[in-house]
Amino acid sequence: MEVSFSKEIESLKLGDGETFHGEGILAVTKALLQAGVTYVGGYQGAPVSHLLDVMVQAKDLMGELGVHVEPCTNEASAAAMLGASIMYPVRGAVTWKSIVGTNVASDALSNLASPGVMGGALIVVGEDYGEGASVIQERTHAFAMKSAMWLVDPRPNLTTITNMVEKSFELSEASNAPVIMELRIRACHVRGSFKTKNNVAPKISARQLQEEPAEFLYQRLAHPPVTYGQEKLKYDVRVPAARKFITDNRLNELFDGSHKDVGIIVQGGLYNGLIRALQEIGMADAFGQTDIPILALNVVYPLVPEEISSFAAGKQAILILEEGQPEFIEHEIGTILRRADINTKIVGKDVLPMSGEYNSEVILGGLTKFAKEYLPDVADKGEAYAGEVASLRGKAAQNMKGPLPPRPPGFCIGCPERPVFAALKLAQKDVGKVHISTDIGCHALATFEPFSFGNSILGYGMSMASGAGVAGFSARRPIAIMGDGGFWHNGLLSGVTSALLNERDRVLVIMKNGYTSATGTQEVISSPEDDRKTRAEGESATGSELTIEKTLNGLGVPWLRTVHTYRVSEMKAALKEAITTPTKGLKVIVAEGECQLERQRRIRPIRARNLAAGKTVMRTRYGVDEDTCTGDHSCIRLSGCPTLTVKTATDPLKSDPVAHVLNGCVGCGLCGENAHAATLCPSFYRAEIVSNPGWFDRTLARLRKALTGAA
Amino acid sequence: MEKALAPTTILVAALGGEGGSVLADWIVASAIRFGLPAQSTSVPGVAQRTGATSYYIELLPQPAPAGLEPVFALVPIAGRVDVVVSSELLESGRLLERGFISPDRTTFISSSSRVLTTMEKMQMGDGRFDNERIHDTARELAKNYIHLDLEKLAQDNGTIISATMFGALAGAGAFPWERSVCEEVIREGGRGIKQSLAGFAAAFDAVQNAQAEGVAEAPAPQASTGPAPDAPSSFADLPADVRDLINHGLARTIDYQDEDYGELFLERMRALVSAAPPASDPLVAHALGEAARRLALWMAYEDIPRVADLKTRGDRFARIREEAEMQPDQLLRVYEYLKPGAEEIADMLPKAWGERIMKRLDAGKGLPFTGRGLALSTTSISGYYMMRAMARFGRIRRRSLRFHHEQEAIGLWLDAMAKALPRSPDFAGALAELPRLRKGYGETQARGRKNYNAVFDTIVAPAIASGSEAASAAWLRKAVGAALADPESEKLAGALANGAPSPQSMAAQ
Repeated sequence: MEVSFSKEIESLKLGDGETFHGEGILAVTKALLQAGVTYVGGYQGAPVSHLLDVMVQAKDLMGELGVHVEPCTNEASAAAMLGASIMYPVRGAVTWKSIVGTNVASDALSNLASPGVMGGALIVVGEDYGEGASVIQERTHAFAMKSAMWLVDPRPNLTTITNMVEKSFELSEASNAPVIMELRIRACHVRGSFKTKNNVAPKISARQLQEEPAEFLYQRLAHPPVTYGQEKLKYDVRVPAARKFITDNRLNELFDGSHKDVGIIVQGGLYNGLIRALQEIGMADAFGQTDIPILALNVVYPLVPEEISSFAAGKQAILILEEGQPEFIEHEIGTILRRADINTKIVGKDVLPMSGEYNSEVILGGLTKFAKEYLPDVADKGEAYAGEVASLRGKAAQNMKGPLPPRPPGFCIGCPERPVFAALKLAQKDVGKVHISTDIGCHALATFEPFSFGNSILGYGMSMASGAGVAGFSARRPIAIMGDGGFWHNGLLSGVTSALLNERDRVLVIMKNGYTSATGTQEVISSPEDDRKTRAEGESATGSELTIEKTLNGLGVPWLRTVHTYRVSEMKAALKEAITTPTKGLKVIVAEGECQLERQRRIRPIRARNLAAGKTVMRTRYGVDEDTCTGDHSCIRLSGCPTLTVKTATDPLKSDPVAHVLNGCVGCGLCGENAHAATLCPSFYRAEIVSNPGWFDRTLARLRKALTGAA
Repeated sequence: MEKALAPTTILVAALGGEGGSVLADWIVASAIRFGLPAQSTSVPGVAQRTGATSYYIELLPQPAPAGLEPVFALVPIAGRVDVVVSSELLESGRLLERGFISPDRTTFISSSSRVLTTMEKMQMGDGRFDNERIHDTARELAKNYIHLDLEKLAQDNGTIISATMFGALAGAGAFPWERSVCEEVIREGGRGIKQSLAGFAAAFDAVQNAQAEGVAEAPAPQASTGPAPDAPSSFADLPADVRDLINHGLARTIDYQDEDYGELFLERMRALVSAAPPASDPLVAHALGEAARRLALWMAYEDIPRVADLKTRGDRFARIREEAEMQPDQLLRVYEYLKPGAEEIADMLPKAWGERIMKRLDAGKGLPFTGRGLALSTTSISGYYMMRAMARFGRIRRRSLRFHHEQEAIGLWLDAMAKALPRSPDFAGALAELPRLRKGYGETQARGRKNYNAVFDTIVAPAIASGSEAASAAWLRKAVGAALADPESEKLAGALANGAPSPQSMAAQ
C-alpha cells in the first residue's frame, strides 16, 4: 500500500474527551469504531480509500475490538456484505467512490433495501463531483430515492460528520433502511478536529461469535411475492419512521437570522461554502452567525415536509442550494409547498447553474441574483465582487497572451505501463491505427499526451466488453487495454468470458503491475506475496506471480503471451502479431512489470542498508548527450517520463532546447529501449554508478583510465 | 456578530509528489500549537500522479471567542486569498488566470523553477511557455510578489520543496506566529528533520534578504558562450551578436573538421555578407546571424565519426559525473545506445562505396551487422577504442557520400540566400531558418530532409526565380512553423498546398 498510517492508527485509539486531529475520511473511520461497528468492507477509490486502508493496517486494533475488515474485489461484493445486517442486529459499514461504485453496487443495494435491515447499515460514498473529480458527473441522490435508502450529507466539519455517522446507524435501525452518507472530495480530505469517544466493541463480532444462524424468515428475502409487501413497507412504515427520527433528533439544523422574510435551504455539505459567500455580502460572520435564516439539511433524503413548510411559511422567497442535476430536492420542496398551499416563491436552479460544483463563488453568483430581487441592499456587494474578479481574470489573460499549457496527471517516473504505449505507438506505425478500447486505471493516463490513445472508456474492467460491437465491423482487429485491477474487478467476467463464449477474434492487453495502483497500490488476488517481493529485491516481483496467466489458461484462452513491459521491441512484436496473426479466437498479452512505486518502496531501504554497510551498490540512470541531441524531441513523444525533459542548449548555436534527463531518473531502461526500438538517435547513454566499489572494480577502473583517459 | 474578524486564507499550489500535504499539515499544526483554530483541505485525487494539485488553509488570526466555532470554507474564493505559495512557475500562472491573486491583499510567493509539461516538451521545436509573461502578470496583480528558486534551495539542502515553501511563507511574514513555532512543528515530523530545517532556514533567509533589498532574485547569468576565435576584420561592421555567432560557427567547424573547414565557413559567410545590404537594417542583421548559426550547424552535421568523437571526449565523462551528482570515490560505467543503419554506414564511406551500398539497399538487400541495437560501453577498453576507430573516419569525411550530398544542398541554399538578401531581407531571414528542419537521425533525419526539400522546391526556388521573395516571406515562415508542428508532416502539407500568396499581393510588389 502506498501510504503508511502508523500515526493515524494511534488516533483511532483515542478515548472519551480527547481530541482527534486529522483527515475527514479517517474521522469517519474513528466514528465507525465509536459506533460499535461489527464489520467494514469496501472498494478503494479516491476520495474514500483511506477509510478502509487504515483499517487494513490497524490489524491489532481491529482484532482487539473484533471488527471484521474486508477489502472487497468490487463494490458489488462490498454492498452484498451489508446483507449481514438484514437478519442480525449488527452494525456494518461499506465504502466506495460514487457514482461509479454505486453503479456497480446497485444490484446488491436494491436487494438489500427491499427487505430492509435490522442492524444499522451505512454506506459511506465519496461523492466524486466537481473540481478534482475523476468520474462521470452524476448524483448518488438518484440511487437513494429509487431504492428508498436515506441520504445523509453532513455539514463538512469533523464534529458534524462524526456525529452523523453515529446518528446514521441509529436512523438505519429506527427505520430498517440502509443509509448512505455522501462526502464530497474536499470533505474527505479536510483536516480538522473533533472530540472523541471510546471505541465500542460490538456485541456480536469476531470475538463474540453468534452460535446459531438466523431463523428462516421468507419475508426478509428479496424474492416474490414478498417484494410487493416490501415496497409497501418502504413508503408506509420506513419513510415515516425515518422522518420521525430526523425530527426528534434534529438532524437538520436551523440557523435563524434577522431577515425573516427570506431563507435558504442548503445541502449540509454546501453549508461552509454558503457561509463564505454570505460573509462576502456582509450577511454572516466567520462563526456562521447569519442574517438570513438557513435550514441546513444534513439528511437530504427523505425530506421532512413539516420542517420544510414551517421554514418556508410566511417568507416571501426561499433560495435552494442543491448541487448537481437533476434538482431532486427543489422538485420535492415544490411539491411539499404546493400540497401545503404555501405560496412562498422558490428560487434555485433558475439563478444557479444546472451543473458543476457549487463553490463559494458560484453560490455567491446565485445569491446575488436572489438578493437583487429580495434583498436589494446587499446585491451591490455581490455584483462588485463579480466585477472585481472578472477584471482580475481579464488582466491575467491579457498579460499571459494565450492559454497556459495544461498539466494533466501522467505516468510516474519509471512506470512499467509507459513502455507498453511506446510499443503500441511503434506497432501502429507498422500495422496501421487500430481501435483502442481503454479502461479505468493508471493506464488511462495514456489518453493524455504524448500518447493520446483510446477510442472509448465504458467503465472499470469494461474495455474488453466495450469492444465487442466494434470488432464486428472493424477491418483491423481492435484492441482492449485493461489493468489487473480492472481484470479482477469485472473484466474477467464481463469481457474475457464473454469473448470466449462467443469465440470472438479479439485482442486484450492486461497490465500486470501487481496492485490497483491508481487508488494507492492496494492488493489484488494476483499481488506478489511478501516472500516473492523479498526474493525479487530490485527486480519486478510480478514476473513469477502467475495467477492471471493460470486463470486465462484454465479458461482456455487460445493465444497467450506474457511480455515484460520494458522490452519495447518484444512488446511491439507481440502487439503486431496479436493484431495480424491468422490464429482465430481471443489473444491476450499480459504486460508484466511491477508498479514502480511499490518497487521503489522496496528498493530504497535495501539500498540504504547496503550503502551503510559499505557494500557495493549500483545505481543506474540514463542521460542524453547534449552535443549530439538535435532537439527534435522524438524521444519525448515516445515517453512523457517526468525526468525526460528539455533544457536550453549550452551550445549557443542551438536555438531549440535539447533533451535532458533529470537526476530523479530511476533507470527503468525505457529510454534505451526506445532508442533501439524506434531507432531514435545515438544521444542516449546508460550510466552505472558504483558506490563502495571493491578492489577488483577499482583496479579495473584505474587500468581503463590509464588506457583510455575516459571516466 | 463578529463581522470584523475574518479568517486568514492561504493557498498552496504544488505538483503531485512534492509534499504539499506535508506543508499543509505543518501550517495547521503550527496554528494549533500557537492556539489558533485552523483547517486545511485539498483535492489530491489522480493529481498525485504528477498532475497539478492545490491545498487550501484557513486560520483565525486570533482565538475564537468563547462558545463560538469558526466556519471555515473548503474552497478558496477568487480575489480573497491572503497568501499564495506555488512550487512551480506555470502553476503560478494558472493561479493568476483563475483570479486568486489580488493587488488588494495577496502576498504571492512563487518558485521560479519550471517543471515542463509534456505538451511543452514534446514539440519539435521550442514549445516552452514564456516565463516572463507570468512574472509580469504576477508583478502587476500581486500586492507583494516574491519569486525565488525554491526547488534549487530544496535540492541544495537535501530536502524537498515543501520545506522551502514553508520557510518562504514564514520569511514573508505569512503567519501570525514566530519562526520558532514552525521549526518546532518540523522537529515533530518523521524523516529528514535536519534537511527540512536547513531548507526552511535557507528559504526563510532568502525571502527576508530579498524583501530587505527589494529584489527577490538575481537575474540568471547569461549562458557562457565559451571561448571562440576572433572573427576576421571583414565582419567588423556587423552587430556584435552576429559577430558572436560567426565566431561560434568558426570554432564549431574547426572543431568538427580542421582549420581549412573553418576557413570554408568564413568564406561562405563573407559571400553572404557582401551580397547583403548594410546590416544596420535589423532584418539583414537577423538574417545574417541566423545564416551563420544554421550554416555552422549544417556544416557540422552529425554522422557516425562525429558522434563517436563526441562520445569519447574526456570532458564528456566529467559532465556525466557532474549531472549524476557523483562522489569522487564512485565508479562510472557508461553504455551508449547505438543502432547504426546501413544508410549511416554508407554515409561515412567514400562516395563510390557508399553509392554501391545504397544501391544494394534500394534493391532490398541489407548489410551485415546493421539495424541491430548495441549497448556499447565507452568506459570499457574495447568499447572505447572501437568508438575511437569510428571517430577516425572523420579524416576521410571530405570524400564521403554524405559530405558530398550535404555540400551540394548547402551550396543551393547559400545561392538562394545570396540572391534573397538584397531583394528581401525578410524572406532571407525566413530562409536562413529553413535548415532547422534538417535535424535528428535515421528516420527523423530522412523526414526532415524531405520536408526541407518540399519547402525549398515549392516556395524558395520559385520565389527566387520570379523575384517574388517579399511576397512569399510570410508563406515560407508559416511553412517552417508547420513543418515543426507535427511529426506526421500533416500541417506542412496543408501549409504548402494552401499558403501561396495571392496574385494581387504578387502584383503589388
